[in-house]
Amino acid sequence: MTLLSKTITAFGSLLLAHACYSAREHTALQSLRAATTATLTSSPATAASLPVDIIIETIVSTFILLLGLVLGTRPLRPLEWRVWAGKIEREGEEGFTDNAGAVDKDFMGNPFSVLESRPNFVDIRKQRREFAEWVQKGGAQQGQ
Amino acid sequence: MPSERELQISPVVQESLMHNSRTLNNLQSLTASLFGISAGVLGLESYAGFLYYVALSLLTAVLFYVVRVAPTSLASGGKGKKAPLDTSRYFRGAYDFWAGGLMNGFAGFVLTWTLFYGLVRA
Repeated sequence: MTLLSKTITAFGSLLLAHACYSAREHTALQSLRAATTATLTSSPATAASLPVDIIIETIVSTFILLLGLVLGTRPLRPLEWRVWAGKIEREGEEGFTDNAGAVDKDFMGNPFSVLESRPNFVDIRKQRREFAEWVQKGGAQQGQ
Repeated sequence: MPSERELQISPVVQESLMHNSRTLNNLQSLTASLFGISAGVLGLESYAGFLYYVALSLLTAVLFYVVRVAPTSLASGGKGKKAPLDTSRYFRGAYDFWAGGLMNGFAGFVLTWTLFYGLVRA
């Protein structure tokens, strides 16, 4: 996505720069022509408007640039807490990436992770028992 | 705007709000400058230039809705599903979303409009 939007934006900028240069050259040419005709015939030459191809090029390049810029915006995040938390539960980090696929810097993860790992609620006796079993088993295996 | 009671029932994530409005603001100021450039190159004057800006910033809002808001807002099932052109999944006020760009990027638009008009026509 990011490569696509960058390509479109670069192409649109190129077109717009070309259109701008063309319009500049056109007006320079017009003023030069007006000056020469004024000295020759002394009749005031009317300033012609921009040629159609430059107008079309400008408008098309504006649309292309607009499309590229809109495609290059970062993905939005849900506003309501329940939608947002549900998205985190379902998609995890994948739901909060920018266009390049990197996880956002301010992504915090589950807002209730503090509750899910409360040290007060850890069954320390059970863990000690399991550890003792593991030590016995490991010691037996090492002894053999 | 939702009332206090509705906010208590369905709370809003402030960081998401800031992230979304920052994304939209960035896009609006960037595109406003772009519109100024093209209006200056086209050589628009007075009302034509302002009309050009209004039309294109509305188009920007529509395009942003189609690309970023609509795919998830319309596809999510259950109570999260929104009607078409409803931006309440990502933004607080509908007016801010659709017309916020008019005020937001106006200064940038006039700046680049006059600059490029002067550069091309001088």
